[in-house]
Amino acid sequence: MNPLAAYGLLAHGLIFGALVALLPLGPLRARAALIATALALLVGIAPLMHGSFGPPSLTLLALALLQHSGHSPAPLNWRVALGLLFFALIFYPPSLGRGSFDPYALGYQPDTLLAALAMLAGLLYWRRQNLWLCILAIDLAAYASGLFANLWDALFDPLLVLLALLVVGRQLLRRLIGSRIR
Amino acid sequence: MRPPPPVPPCLDTDQPSPPADAEVSGDWTDSIPRWLAATLFIFALGAAFWRIPSAAAPGFEPPPAAAPSALPALFSSTLLPPSKAPAEPILTRLPDGRLAAAWSAGSQDEADGRGIWLSIEEPGGWHPPLRIASRESTAAGTLTHAGSLGQPLLHAEGSWLHLWYTSRDGLAGDSLNHSFSTNGGQAWAKPAKLEISPLVGGELRPGSPPVSFDDGGLGLLLSRSFISGHSNWLRLSATGQILGLQRLPGSGERAAAIALDTLHAVALQRDPTSRQLQLANTADGGQSWQAGKRLPISSADSRPALLRLPSGRLLLAGNPGPGRTTLQLWLSADAGQSWQRGRIIEEDADITADFSEPALLLGRDGRIHLAYRWRRQAIKLASFSEAWLDGEAP
Repeated sequence: MNPLAAYGLLAHGLIFGALVALLPLGPLRARAALIATALALLVGIAPLMHGSFGPPSLTLLALALLQHSGHSPAPLNWRVALGLLFFALIFYPPSLGRGSFDPYALGYQPDTLLAALAMLAGLLYWRRQNLWLCILAIDLAAYASGLFANLWDALFDPLLVLLALLVVGRQLLRRLIGSRIR
Repeated sequence: MRPPPPVPPCLDTDQPSPPADAEVSGDWTDSIPRWLAATLFIFALGAAFWRIPSAAAPGFEPPPAAAPSALPALFSSTLLPPSKAPAEPILTRLPDGRLAAAWSAGSQDEADGRGIWLSIEEPGGWHPPLRIASRESTAAGTLTHAGSLGQPLLHAEGSWLHLWYTSRDGLAGDSLNHSFSTNGGQAWAKPAKLEISPLVGGELRPGSPPVSFDDGGLGLLLSRSFISGHSNWLRLSATGQILGLQRLPGSGERAAAIALDTLHAVALQRDPTSRQLQLANTADGGQSWQAGKRLPISSADSRPALLRLPSGRLLLAGNPGPGRTTLQLWLSADAGQSWQRGRIIEEDADITADFSEPALLLGRDGRIHLAYRWRRQAIKLASFSEAWLDGEAP
């Protein structure tokens, strides 16, 4: 077993638990999340998620841990989610074979990417987004540890993009329902 | 009018939800000291910069100087040890000069599906094949649900025997796995999945055997059919970790590459539209690839094989198509820019005949070995000399 495989399995277990914690379970939410985490690891849900999505990013794992601990408000608000979706729309098509430029390849020799992240960190510091700055630091530390060969994999992943899609979708639904009520 | 449905706290934070059970409510993110976040980031950024692998790509391991082969014309062929539905053979030369062959075999209907098998040449013949990768061993190493295995690549580098192969998951598509042996193939490390794409999916087809770098690293060609077919050049460390990735120009599949000198290499990939082989060249050790000309060689949907001969010419083996009923050789004396038809290894008028998936290897004694799938029944190994290629009778 290599460290990335072990990380991926455990992290997907926690993420599945965090997804269950999104359900409106009231006071049972924390316990349900723990039980779901254990079940995901025991009955094969986590290996299935690991095989389907690959190892999750540290960003997603950090959000899952925050969800487990019941912190609110969570940092993935709809504006952040919208930005993530927009970036995913730019990033995924060329990374998956469209065109001659592969942005995913930048993550193996990430000098340029790290320079861009340093600028992003400056923006986060200026906007006092301390939690996101910490999450970014955790992502970079995970890459520096050798867990990920590609920096992109530490930063975000398809499951995080799906979560962002869910966040944006719910926000749009809320606005739609709100406008009809008015 | 009904009120809007409640939104779980994690998903919408513009308007904080009422606190539920053990939630830490309020603007708790303000409790993280700003200086702490900045310090953490700076340290992590420094560590990440420190960890970046060397960007300077090494040169290719220089091929031996061209010299005429002293071997007389010779040709022989044999079937490798039997296994169930063998396919996708690959050859490598062990440090002691013996040949090793790997292939995929097995049945999808069996509980353990298709696996990867290895056989090593012994003085009295070929050793009975050993299964060196299975669904179980792959699942145990990667901690995922591993499906059917295939497309093995075997490569000996010093005392290491590398194995790459694909595993197919019903939900996600193909993944590329890497395992290695340091004791001549008797015991294998648990496989690790190589992260080569931000999204799992599509069909992966590893190309020709890896090209060696002079620092012990390896260059590996890999074709992927997902949104569109394309080939990637992976630069690997001596232990098989990915150090870099380059996309080959154009849409191509079934790629094969070979080094010409320390900086130059050529790759051939099949254009899925025209079904013709297309050249790509690098002049900087694989750091960048340029599109070359389209060759007047059509290729069936079967990987071609490339080899540099002792004389310095290039040898290509493949199926000229449209089917797999003919296995043919081509020779190039100008680094792959033009090719002349060579010997036909197998040919059958029966359209169901299948002589495909060739793999080439140069033996220590100068003999050329060609392994291929023979009539979907066995793996056949043909061995011949360069003089036989030039038309001399054995």
